Amino acid sequence: MANVPLNNEDFFLRLADLFDERREKDHGSVFLTQKRMTYGEDENALEGPDTTSSLELQGLQPPKPAPIIIRATNGKSRGKRSKKIKLSTIVQAEELESFFVKYAEICKLGMSGLKKRDRSRRKKETKAKKKKGAIGVGEDATKNT
Amino acid sequence: MPYLETAQSWLTQSTLLIQARPSTAPNVTLQTRITTKYTIAHAADSPKAPVKKSSRAQKTKVAGTEATPASTENTPPVRAILILKTYDPISGATLKYSTNKAAEVSRLIQIVGRLARPMAGLPEVKDEAIPDADAVEGTGTATPVVEQPQEKPKAGVSQGQSGKKGKKKGKK
Repeated sequence: MANVPLNNEDFFLRLADLFDERREKDHGSVFLTQKRMTYGEDENALEGPDTTSSLELQGLQPPKPAPIIIRATNGKSRGKRSKKIKLSTIVQAEELESFFVKYAEICKLGMSGLKKRDRSRRKKETKAKKKKGAIGVGEDATKNT
Repeated sequence: MPYLETAQSWLTQSTLLIQARPSTAPNVTLQTRITTKYTIAHAADSPKAPVKKSSRAQKTKVAGTEATPASTENTPPVRAILILKTYDPISGATLKYSTNKAAEVSRLIQIVGRLARPMAGLPEVKDEAIPDADAVEGTGTATPVVEQPQEKPKAGVSQGQSGKKGKKKGKK
């Protein structure tokens, strides 16, 4: 399976599928990585050695903002390599902000196995019960069992 | 390979690491990277359920949050965990943060998005998108310093030297 970078929209769709698959199987992992995409960038830097400072060579100050490559896999390797799903997309520096808004949404929906914030609800319930408690105690007893 | 206590300190330390070593080599495989790992462990009744030995590390990580499985009688215990990791393959510096709270996800992805900026070579976001960014960390060096990372590397001319420096910074 060739690992050709998808466009951002397709990546989101496929990433959502990846999370859905985990949810259905009820176990397993999703790995998301991000790093600077420099492949091919440095050749441009080398073209103008006069203007390229040592800082640029070290990548500390790229001549222009570099795109970020984001990858996602289901972590299947070695024995299960045939089941491996790899996705990647390249995000231009100026699109980072809008990308991460959607990205956060997908992740929030996808990572549904995490602990929900249910304690606050319970507290509210118990508070409500206490208020109701004065009126109908019997109701409480049935709820608790 | 330290696990940091709070997401905020993970952001601070990762920002420093990425600023110090945003791009460690022309090769894309050697870039400082951030990995977000979402794992659902096998159910307890599954034959592949994690044995105690393997779950030991996890227990120490989230001891505070997972210590009360008995109290949740109706809901099954939370098996999913989210681990953020910043790794500089050259110096080997690694910073980790783990959580099992769903409520933290969007904020953590926001943080990862913030870290993408120095990674791309953009200046740090001016306004504090994450409210408690400075409130938690008294040092506050992480965010403002970003725009002048130039002074750091001048001392270390060669790649090797700067590599050592980056490592030290990462391990602070």
